[in-house]
Amino acid sequence: MTPSPFAQIVTVASYEIRKYIRGRRLLGMLILLGLIVGLFVGLPPALGIKYASTPDAFVSTFATFSGLLVVLGGVLFAADSLVSEHEKRTGYFLFPNPVRREVLVLGKIAASLLVCTAVLSLYYGAAAIAALVITGSLTWDVGLSYVYTLGYMTAVVGVAYLLSALLKGTVAATVLTFFLFTLIFAIVGGILPRANVEPWFIPTSASGIIANALGGAAVRPGPGGGDVGFVPDPATSLLVFAGYAIAGGILAILLYRRRELAS
Amino acid sequence: MEAVVEQPTTHDAPVHLEGLGKEYGHFTALKALDLTVAQGTSLGFLGPNGAGKSTTIKIMTNLIRPSRGRASLFGIDVRREPTRALARIGAVIETPEFYGYLSPLETLAYAGRLRGMSSKDLHSRSEAVLKEVKLTDWADHRIQEFSKGMKQRLAIAQSLLNEPDLLILDEPTSGLDPRGMAEVRDVIKSLKDQGRTIFMSSHLLGEVQEVCDDVALLNHGELLIRGSVRELSRGADTSIIQATFLHPATQGDLEALAALPGVGEVKASGDSTVDLRISGGEEGQARVLEAMIGRGLKVITYRPLGSSLEQLYLDRIQESDRL
Repeated sequence: MTPSPFAQIVTVASYEIRKYIRGRRLLGMLILLGLIVGLFVGLPPALGIKYASTPDAFVSTFATFSGLLVVLGGVLFAADSLVSEHEKRTGYFLFPNPVRREVLVLGKIAASLLVCTAVLSLYYGAAAIAALVITGSLTWDVGLSYVYTLGYMTAVVGVAYLLSALLKGTVAATVLTFFLFTLIFAIVGGILPRANVEPWFIPTSASGIIANALGGAAVRPGPGGGDVGFVPDPATSLLVFAGYAIAGGILAILLYRRRELAS
Repeated sequence: MEAVVEQPTTHDAPVHLEGLGKEYGHFTALKALDLTVAQGTSLGFLGPNGAGKSTTIKIMTNLIRPSRGRASLFGIDVRREPTRALARIGAVIETPEFYGYLSPLETLAYAGRLRGMSSKDLHSRSEAVLKEVKLTDWADHRIQEFSKGMKQRLAIAQSLLNEPDLLILDEPTSGLDPRGMAEVRDVIKSLKDQGRTIFMSSHLLGEVQEVCDDVALLNHGELLIRGSVRELSRGADTSIIQATFLHPATQGDLEALAALPGVGEVKASGDSTVDLRISGGEEGQARVLEAMIGRGLKVITYRPLGSSLEQLYLDRIQESDRL
């Protein structure tokens, strides 16, 4: 008897996670994460610079890189998940099984969210431990910044899945996901205020709350150089993240249900 | 269209295709295909490249959508209820790729869990199917090390995992060496003997003749012939016969043979060997042999070149291409 859709989602997610672990993407991400933490903790004493005195200020240096880690997570653990079944022809094995496409997409999304959450949790965990050891205290703001980072991550994963369902090649899907969040959204978010439009709906602008939660102003480059970017309030930002995550996920399912494995 | 054998009409048949059509832009890959395969039948799905065989199989396995018509497996519409429709089938489509980071055992476990197989069944069936396709020694190796032939064997193994009532095979021996091809044919024949329904596309007519009861011939997306292998072979009107004589035939002998009723072409293919294109089925072949003996030609061998089904196939494809 065919198992329930939930059981199938769990099966798909578990094999996807295995893919990330065995494919060494997770290892690469963890090495990068270790490098960032090592530099933040090791470089100041090596250069004779004092650490920040408050936990919020200390963790805010970590938070400036959490957005990039989120995007890398989306690129490595989401952007090629759907399109690779077509491009690498593994769909010929997977699709003739009695499993709905939406179940496959949901299972893969679950795996991406879990792996990205694990990576970001390690990052924030390391930052929190370092802050506790170095400054001797910790605030709830660190937890809030972590939650906002997870919110931003869901938006990035949602959009990455939409691109993965839409595009024909893994390279196109991964490259576009990366540049969309590191360049295109940032440019649009930088230009719109000059036309007196508040870019509250741009996820990279909304991601400013990750640093803002720790008291740091979100500074992002505009077209004419560095500029203080617009950051919506936390509630709006979270709604924007949820909007991108849900819309991206639903559109990915709808597109993938209709996508044919023709060649 | 020549229908030698009437198609079963039950809508609960393992395979029931009704007015199935598929267009890719302006290209018509499949035109209103009607085809039913009864329980326990093994059908060879024949046709040249681009005939529409893979398109049909992809529609049957929910990889692509039909532009019109309906594909049902065991009476369940594949498009509307893919999960139920695909539950009782095993399929090999083209040469599938597998996840390189998994081993054959893990790959089978993935497919088995999606199908709801218990751990106990999965263990015993995985062992059995890997043994059947001679991959036991590779059960724990990563698939990224595998050759195309090994992947094809694994594809056959995963299609057999759930002991399917219907096996859909698209060129199942593609990529295999001659021994591997023979082994896969044996596996298919044993499944046929167990009463399972088999729907197999192939370019290899000999393979189809060896494995299948029925054939359906497709070209340009249209069904040209559907019937039993035996009836079609017997009913094939034209054959190429190669005759070898004890002594070389003279020019006069060749001209006399060419003048016989039913003989279309006579071609010397060696000193003592002649190829004759003979129409009139087995009766026609017997008449020509009698005439040869009557002329005093000492016939050592008299045998068809290729099968009569092959000749029928070529004739029908040529005829269809001319239209």
